[in-house]
Amino acid sequence: MPQTTIYVAPRLGGAHGSPPPAVDTDGLARLFGRSAALAGVSLRIEAGRTVALLGPNGAGKTTLLRILATAIRPSFGGLFIDGVDALRHPEIIRTRVAYLSHASGMYDDLTAFENLRFAATMLGWSGAEVATVAERAIAEVGLAPVADDRVGSFSAGMRKRLALARLLVARPSLVLLDEPHAALDEDGMALVDRLLGLWHEFGITVVVASHQADRVVRAADATVRLHGGLVAEVSGSGVRAGALAPVIPSYATSLGTSR
Amino acid sequence: MNALRRNATIALAIARKDALAELRGRQAVGSTIFFAALVLLLFGFALGPDSRRLAEAAPGLLWLAIVFGGLLTVARLHQLEADDGALEQLALYPVDRRAVYAGKALAGAGAMLLLGGLLLPVVAILYGVPLGAAWLPLVVTVILGSLGFAAVGTAYAGLTVRMRAREVMLPLLMLPIVAPLLLAAVKATVAAVAGDPFGELGAWLQLLAGFDIVMLIAGAATYGFLLED
Amino acid sequence: MKTRILGFAALLAVLAATVNGLFVVPADLNQGDAQRIMYPHVASAWLAYLSFGVTAMAGIGYLVRRDLRLDAIALAGAEVGVIFTAFAIWGGMMWGRPVWGVFWQWEDPRLTTTALLLALYAGYLLFRRLTDDPHRRAARAAVVGLIAAIDIPIVHFSVIWWRGLHQGPTIGDPGKILNPSAPPLFVLALMSMLAAFTLVWGYLMIRRYQLARTEWQIEEHGRLGRISVARRSFSTESVSEEAAP
Repeated sequence: MPQTTIYVAPRLGGAHGSPPPAVDTDGLARLFGRSAALAGVSLRIEAGRTVALLGPNGAGKTTLLRILATAIRPSFGGLFIDGVDALRHPEIIRTRVAYLSHASGMYDDLTAFENLRFAATMLGWSGAEVATVAERAIAEVGLAPVADDRVGSFSAGMRKRLALARLLVARPSLVLLDEPHAALDEDGMALVDRLLGLWHEFGITVVVASHQADRVVRAADATVRLHGGLVAEVSGSGVRAGALAPVIPSYATSLGTSR
Repeated sequence: MNALRRNATIALAIARKDALAELRGRQAVGSTIFFAALVLLLFGFALGPDSRRLAEAAPGLLWLAIVFGGLLTVARLHQLEADDGALEQLALYPVDRRAVYAGKALAGAGAMLLLGGLLLPVVAILYGVPLGAAWLPLVVTVILGSLGFAAVGTAYAGLTVRMRAREVMLPLLMLPIVAPLLLAAVKATVAAVAGDPFGELGAWLQLLAGFDIVMLIAGAATYGFLLED
Repeated sequence: MKTRILGFAALLAVLAATVNGLFVVPADLNQGDAQRIMYPHVASAWLAYLSFGVTAMAGIGYLVRRDLRLDAIALAGAEVGVIFTAFAIWGGMMWGRPVWGVFWQWEDPRLTTTALLLALYAGYLLFRRLTDDPHRRAARAAVVGLIAAIDIPIVHFSVIWWRGLHQGPTIGDPGKILNPSAPPLFVLALMSMLAAFTLVWGYLMIRRYQLARTEWQIEEHGRLGRISVARRSFSTESVSEEAAP
């Protein structure tokens, strides 16, 4: 089997001692209009663990992943990734996190290769490496035959593979996957499983939400089950859930009790 | 790597990506130019048939058409990001947001330059305005006008792309802001075509340049806040 | 309580300044009684510009500190500013009719700039209504407010130049009464009106800010309430913890 190249972010702050938890959240809550997508999630995930994120639709999995990716800010609560305050320094987090979202996030009018080359440039590659890295990632996910076709002509499964290829071009310490198995055939799902194994091997922390519960639980060190925006259950090793802390209203702290 | 060089690379990559997407994308560019030309035609019906009056009004009508076409253009450049969720990924890349802004503004300015350039001969023909002798100051005016419009337009398009009623919000916000740009560009065009009899061309071009610089700085400073959700 | 005192003081000051401007101060020799409109008109215009300066600065403050109170100040500035702007334009038109013969003159830089100011901030207020999330709204509004604010001086210059780079000011330029050589009584009348209007401005700003802050507190309560509801309806009890080996 050809060697897959996985790039890993450098460890923050010295090689001595144990690394800070990959994810450390404190009472994360997020409201969208009238509904609370997350109502107080406190989790601590050790570095290097693969965590399966399960739960019914609307439980808050996507919202949690988006907050971890710093795509959106929480309404309440705190978040530390690799020991860095994600709310204060999201730009540091973005150099270390790779996120696979529901939508593939590609440009329809560009070819697969052009899309990946663009992503590689944005992710820090330069010069001749851009093309090399992009080519390798595309080959890795089995899209080499269609590398020069416009993404607009791709099926949902092919787009998903391309999005996975983009993850291979990043240099993360944390990988977040939102339904990676969706729209993929058996080969595609096997690819995802293989990548999960590789990331684990390289010590990259992975949080993966998937409806293919069996597949991810098998690949994971721990499982977190969400329900109604809260943590319902944690099992396995490397993950701890915190108690529900009271949510402190921001106005009370900044304005006191004056009328 | 030198931070400035890296930012320039990012900006150019984005501008190139936008240019590629524009040129390949389903005639959207052509449609916009055609729309702007149609607007010019319609102005002829609205204000004609007195050709002297049309010739006098021509610079104003030209720039109105550029503004309308420009609104469509900057909106489109952000819409292509929204279509497949690419905007979210763009916001997450570990790059300086000012470079992202610079890239998109550059692409926008380029598209508007193309628009303005193609509308000049249309105006010359439809309104009987002799443009040949004054081509250099006209080109400079179109460049400065395009740059200014793209500078504000990129920021506002980024702001409205995820909003409700964005089709009306973008023009509603943009039009008052570009009023001085419109004014200065038209005055400069009038002066250029007439051979600059009062020597005011320089002043108007300076005003345009001032607008451009101020808006580019403001856009670069604030774009990052707009990408966050 | 203090605000109420301010309110009364503002009311008294406006009454006094109005009486002064209408009856005590002599009329202008050129423009006659129409010139009296200048006192409230110019005062309003000053405060309109001040308001929007506040909006822009408060917006920047929000972007730096993410404190929604600053956004409340920005909102207050915009709403109060729109009122003063509309009043200033109306005053300008009322003055223009007897003096110029027309309600509107494109070449008057103050009138045109102020009209654009109104358009910019009416747009700002409309635009705010389309975003629900308070932080998102505050960030977007801050950008719009900032760009609008820096546009204003550019507009002002462009209209002045529009008037003709080689022409002098038209007759009946409102700027003439701000000339320091104007009779001291006129200047005094203007200053007293300005002081009175500033008190009104201050009162309105404080009240609007308090209102915005209360609205926000209610909103915040509601948000917390929804989180509590979500927690209470959460049926599963088991939150198992397991220490890492």
